[in-house]
Amino acid sequence: MLRTTLGKVLTGGSLSPKRVTAVVRAASSQTGKKPEQIEVFIDDIPVKVDPGTTVLQAAAMIGIEIPRFCYHERLAVAGNCRMCLVEVEKSPKPVAACAMPVMKGWRIKTDSEMTKKAREGIMEFLLINHPLDCPICDQGGECDLQDQSMAFGSDRSRFVDIDHTGKRAVEDKDLGPLIKTVMTRCIHCTRCIRFASEVAGVDDLGTTGRGNDMQIGTYVEKMFLSELSGNVIDLCPVGALTSKPYSFTARPWEIRKIDSIDVLDAVGSNIVVSSRTGEVMRIMPRVNEEINEEWIADKSRFSYDGLKRQRLITPMLRDNTGELKPVDWEAALLTVAKQIRNAGSSIGAVAGGFADAEVLVAVKDLLNYLGSEALCTEHTFPLDGSGTDLRSSYLLNNGIAGAEEADFVLLVGTNPRFEAPLLNSRLRKAYVHNELDVALIGPKVDLRYQYQHLGDSPSILQQLANGQHEVNKKLKAAKKPLIIVGSEVLARPDGSAILAAAQKLSASTSPEEQNWRVLNVLHKVASQVAALDIGYTPGVDRIRELNPKVLLLLGADDGAIEKSDLPNDSFIIYLGHHGDHGASIADAILPGVAYTEKQATYVNTEGRAQQTLVAVSPPGRARDDWKIIRALSELLGAKLPYDNLNEIRDRLEEVAPHLTKYGEAETANYFKQAQELSKGIKTQLDNSPFDVKLKELSDYFMTDSISRASPTMAKCVQAVLKQKQSKF
Amino acid sequence: MITTKILNLLFILFFSCQCHSARTVTCDRKMAHQTIRQNLKQVKPILSLDKEEARKRVLSLYKAWYRQLPYIVKQYDIPKTAEQLKQKLREEFTKHQDIKDVRVIDMLVIKGQMELKETVNIWKQKGHLMSYFKDTWEPKPTDFLSKFLAGKE
Repeated sequence: MLRTTLGKVLTGGSLSPKRVTAVVRAASSQTGKKPEQIEVFIDDIPVKVDPGTTVLQAAAMIGIEIPRFCYHERLAVAGNCRMCLVEVEKSPKPVAACAMPVMKGWRIKTDSEMTKKAREGIMEFLLINHPLDCPICDQGGECDLQDQSMAFGSDRSRFVDIDHTGKRAVEDKDLGPLIKTVMTRCIHCTRCIRFASEVAGVDDLGTTGRGNDMQIGTYVEKMFLSELSGNVIDLCPVGALTSKPYSFTARPWEIRKIDSIDVLDAVGSNIVVSSRTGEVMRIMPRVNEEINEEWIADKSRFSYDGLKRQRLITPMLRDNTGELKPVDWEAALLTVAKQIRNAGSSIGAVAGGFADAEVLVAVKDLLNYLGSEALCTEHTFPLDGSGTDLRSSYLLNNGIAGAEEADFVLLVGTNPRFEAPLLNSRLRKAYVHNELDVALIGPKVDLRYQYQHLGDSPSILQQLANGQHEVNKKLKAAKKPLIIVGSEVLARPDGSAILAAAQKLSASTSPEEQNWRVLNVLHKVASQVAALDIGYTPGVDRIRELNPKVLLLLGADDGAIEKSDLPNDSFIIYLGHHGDHGASIADAILPGVAYTEKQATYVNTEGRAQQTLVAVSPPGRARDDWKIIRALSELLGAKLPYDNLNEIRDRLEEVAPHLTKYGEAETANYFKQAQELSKGIKTQLDNSPFDVKLKELSDYFMTDSISRASPTMAKCVQAVLKQKQSKF
Repeated sequence: MITTKILNLLFILFFSCQCHSARTVTCDRKMAHQTIRQNLKQVKPILSLDKEEARKRVLSLYKAWYRQLPYIVKQYDIPKTAEQLKQKLREEFTKHQDIKDVRVIDMLVIKGQMELKETVNIWKQKGHLMSYFKDTWEPKPTDFLSKFLAGKE
């Protein structure tokens, strides 16, 4: 989508209401003067609104919802479905409420005869060519067209085609392994097109033909190549775009919906887990303006089938022949306890990307009791300077929603499009609507918006930190600059130098607002911030130094530590939910539960504690992770002082109070102090170029033990690779 | 709960008021009885006046049941032998062997008689008799570790 300049927006044209309000907000903050409000009457109720407000928005202010199909508050206004027609007094024709700005003194009637007749007419036209296949349609029960035809449609039919000469039919399109299309059901609201071009930044969808021949599609056969593609399923008001993995599996009235949190990236998107017969049937987004608005990424939405495969369902022990054999809990815990007792304080733990705060605290308490401090996270973070002592050094300090307001963003060694798709959609939103300039140091990747590529050499960062680069001017001039550093480059040996350079650079900027935080770190895994908050050491170096006799892996599956790193007689315990890398090297497996099966705390990359809730019961003999540690502690004679969730949450609060303030982002400070401390760092930036693991869409889908076990994600990778071969 | 000792005391009291021969007790004892009367609530015996009597009632109930058992097996067509029923009968009686209160014993005897009557008159059905033979009941785990191992937590 073309970028709308501020000038264009101000001079009029078709305005998105979102943009209007944004402009109004910007204008008011600049001049300090609010434009005069105008009064309109909706169903004779007076409302005062800002100029430029549409009829639909004004009606929403007093709680009157005008029916609509094409209008969506997060997308540009199209005004083509005509469902929102309302009568305006003294106007000869009904007006489209979603697109018409109110004028002073208008008397709008949302329930008059004319309005009702207009709605009935529109419904009749829409239904002329809509198939009557609701009983086999996946949208049935949650379909806008169904609901609105019941509420606003005519009560009698004028259908006269008794010979069944046929309704209009459209060929189905192939948009890839995620989205199922039944294009005959399409009512041409163009929400999917607008989402693709405005939010996802993929201009592949469009319309061809006119009038009765109009079709929505990609023109040539092409997959919808976006990491946010699943959102068009939610946007589609009818059953034209539905979820392929979910198709024909459940009906909305027979599923149980549980609010939860996504853990497949560090954003912590709010989700709703739908379950039936003890299985997760689908995952949908839940609105949270601070984090994910109402979108979620495809990996969060579709990788749930990985939760049913490769699961660890029973404790296992490696026998003399070197094979893992299923045992019962008593045997497993006794064996593990014996090994730990023999090892004494020579024990370490490595926390993987899915570990929740409860188990992190339980393991830390246990190991500390046993006299060990070797508690590490799988993902590295620099320890020099202030290290992880000051929270501001490892948080996305300005928040995810804050990225929307930025006017200059410098990305250092990160590909936000795949590491945090919802942060990238915020950046893109700012790029489209807010004149955001983006510069990037790192490999040249496709972010779906234009940016200035500064190169991938660390020397550029050095130049910037020294103030010798041309971009320095832009950074200085920016009123709301952001520097987003990827956690992956910070894991390099010269990570501390990179962080120090970023700290120095952010100190040189001059943001307009006082609590605008320039330095931001973007993490890749859900557990990292909580682990650092609780006091885990980032990186596994300490384990390598200690050579522990017993190593406890908390779902550590990224292969940060291998069997060859440990002494031959060492005993590896794996506590996790998937049979992946970690389980394959383990001597004992204690099956834990996945995020849909536990009530657990996660802290996202901006430092916001949120909790998942139990949607389905754990499979087989799997148990809550922290309870396994608690049971083990009793057998070790080091009984941890908590027996239930409330008690361990009290302990969490003792360790770090923000861990139980659910929904609130605990901000951090001491940037100056952190920068002062970083001056003493001896590490120098080396010459190897910055690199990120996730460069292309095919890299995005399978990154962790859940998505690696998911057949849908595997199909996505195949489809993307196949699309690459295609000439379109 | 009022123990049999106090009960006995009260019986003495009761008889002392009734019998003329008891008038020979001294004034002091009379006074003592009066204070006890003030402090204790008078209890009415249910059937038996003393322990021995209660014991006799229990034994005769046991015998009555015991003699009925072969007929029960015949009439009710339950998958049990008379021998098994004898065991169960003994078990049901010994369940209450520690009870010392005459009133409680009496009440249990009355209930036992009711049960017997219901059984003899075939007011009961098969299931009612079979419900005496319940499976062994294991207590639910209460502490964390046993709950964890039992999968209850």
